[in-house]
Amino acid sequence: MRNRLRDLRTERGWTQEQLGQGLGVSRQAVNALETEKHDPSLDLAYRIAVLFGRPVEDIFDNPHA
Amino acid sequence: MAIFKTMDPAHRRYVIRTNLFMAGYVAVNMAAIFGAFDKIIGESAGVVLGLAVAAPIAGQLWATMSLMNESDEFVRALTAKRFIAASGLAMALFSAWGFAESYGNAPHAPGWLIYPLFWGLFGLVSPFLKSSR
Repeated sequence: MRNRLRDLRTERGWTQEQLGQGLGVSRQAVNALETEKHDPSLDLAYRIAVLFGRPVEDIFDNPHA
Repeated sequence: MAIFKTMDPAHRRYVIRTNLFMAGYVAVNMAAIFGAFDKIIGESAGVVLGLAVAAPIAGQLWATMSLMNESDEFVRALTAKRFIAASGLAMALFSAWGFAESYGNAPHAPGWLIYPLFWGLFGLVSPFLKSSR
């Protein structure tokens, strides 16, 4: 799923490891999200939205819209 | 050791559990190879020895399930995908060999080969399966 995760992370100067710690997932999971190799669950998508203080659809493109 | 330190806790536990179970697997097999169980090999009691060797295999599969349970959703999905692909390939290959034995003159392959075959195939498919989808 296309997303702005890498941009949002680098804007804050975070590493993938740091973002993973903030979300409670592995660095591999963050990398998979950024490279579109993993579509997050609704739970993880909401955690990401809360961490960045943005609505989910600001971070992930809705492929059905 | 350096790789171990960089692992997340779930993978560290997996490595420790796998090493413990595989140490048991190797120890019982080595004891059997060097004659410790010669009195029961070929007898009915040898079945117990067979079960004892197989027990660490069940343990190692439990360690893999625990890794999936303790990991995040991406690692869980990816491991499940690789596990299913490797299991399916191992079953297909071993079944094909079994039929080749039944209908042709293929030499007999003992059933315990399915386990190393499965992990060999798991290693083989892993570089090609990097997406959880």
